[in-house]
Amino acid sequence: MANRHGEFVQRGGRVFGISADTVEMNAAMVEKLALPFPILSDPDRDKAIAPLGFADENDPRGIARTGALIISPQGEIVFSLLGRDYADRPVEDDLLAGLAALGLPATTQAPPEIGEATPGDKAMAYEGLTHYFRGAKFATLAIRRRHRDLGEEFAADTKGYLAMVERYIDALPGVEERRA
Amino acid sequence: MAIDFTVTDAAGKPWTLSDHLDAAVVITFHRGDF
Repeated sequence: MANRHGEFVQRGGRVFGISADTVEMNAAMVEKLALPFPILSDPDRDKAIAPLGFADENDPRGIARTGALIISPQGEIVFSLLGRDYADRPVEDDLLAGLAALGLPATTQAPPEIGEATPGDKAMAYEGLTHYFRGAKFATLAIRRRHRDLGEEFAADTKGYLAMVERYIDALPGVEERRA
Repeated sequence: MAIDFTVTDAAGKPWTLSDHLDAAVVITFHRGDF
């Protein structure tokens, strides 16, 4: 999302992330990735995450399901993507198409303000991201090769996941640029 | 029906959806526990 933020504002949309993490953890995430948009905190999930249908009720950690919404200037939800689990991430092209359909003029979005930044205990250091995504890629490739017999759904699912991981790997130089 | 909600931004300030609807709002949901 971050590397293509300009495409969102060009189509009249401002981007905001939401998580159940604390304000301080979100500030650390914005800082780590030099995000051009804020991450908002809904720690009890009762303000936005659950009412909008994104609470993960199967996970005891009180987290959100991944996904995305596009809300029109009239306050209506005009596009919705709900991930099955944390391995599902919104595809930027799908969101951009949903936004383009609204026919809005370009807008602007100021860089996010952050306060005290304290990463969570489990937060991965920026330096680990490349290895993390490469590990995910090659493990998925190996599992995919082992289980070719599992049919088209498995093949399509792993292909989609690999495409997502590749997008994240490709995005890392952009993160490096923003952090510089 | 128009929706609205208030959460908290990364500077600790309240963030209300209806304050930001002079444009479309794209919200991405993140797993959390990072």
